[in-house]
Amino acid sequence: MAVLGNKKGKVSDEIPTSSMADIAFLLLIFFLVTTTFPKDKGLAIVLPEPGEEAAVSQRNILHLIVQPTGIIDVRRGESQQVQSLRPQEIEGLWRQEVSQNENLIAAVKTHPDAAYRYMIDILDALHAANAERISLQLLEDL
Amino acid sequence: MSMKGGFARKSKTSSEIPSSSLADIAFLLLIFFMVTTVFQSDRDRPIEWPEAEAAEKIDEKQKNILNIWMEPNGTVFMNDQPFEMTDVSAFVAPLYAASERALVISIRGDRDVPYRFMDQLQQELVAAGVVRVVFAAQLEQSMMRERR
Repeated sequence: MAVLGNKKGKVSDEIPTSSMADIAFLLLIFFLVTTTFPKDKGLAIVLPEPGEEAAVSQRNILHLIVQPTGIIDVRRGESQQVQSLRPQEIEGLWRQEVSQNENLIAAVKTHPDAAYRYMIDILDALHAANAERISLQLLEDL
Repeated sequence: MSMKGGFARKSKTSSEIPSSSLADIAFLLLIFFMVTTVFQSDRDRPIEWPEAEAAEKIDEKQKNILNIWMEPNGTVFMNDQPFEMTDVSAFVAPLYAASERALVISIRGDRDVPYRFMDQLQQELVAAGVVRVVFAAQLEQSMMRERR
């Protein structure tokens, strides 16, 4: 009869690690499925503080009137002369205008019935032309 | 000296793919996804995004961004709930104060929503004292624009 102490136990004294990969993959799949990479992109703008209204000389305003058709009526300051342009032409127009007057403000006035995307087109063009002074308004005098 | 059949001798190299490092690989990937995961605070509304070429990433932490969705009929959604236009200001103002004026509003409007609703929303946000607003848009490739 063998000495009892010599007999090795068949039960392993180590923590079983064979299922570790399974657990890791399970968690991995959970995070893979729930991950949404933030895709927030957009055109940033700074809104005025409540009650903040600055008087601006008409000389320094470029009126960009967005019509429901997507056509842009451009009017300079107090002049009544209206120039109708397509959204793609605004970027070039702004670069040209701002080179003549550095204090120019773009007043984007959108018709209440005009689709939001037409306003975004103009805002996009102004951003592309590095315009910083932009005012967004609703067209009131129809 | 007698040779016992050479074929009977087993090669010492294991024929199995070593799988001991599998857990390490899995944990590495796991940690990557745990770190990069941002749980979305609200569900996406079914809108058609406007497109903009100059769209830029919002430079603010995810928790400081509030999404305001606007559907084509002018319905406003915040945190998965519909809101009356006149209630927007009252809902946003306390959030803005709680974020210590760091809150950025991401306006996610449908491309075809009439601008009158957008203007009302902006008035509400001005009344709430919000300053930083982003008109969320999909990035438009300039190639597509030229074709249009």
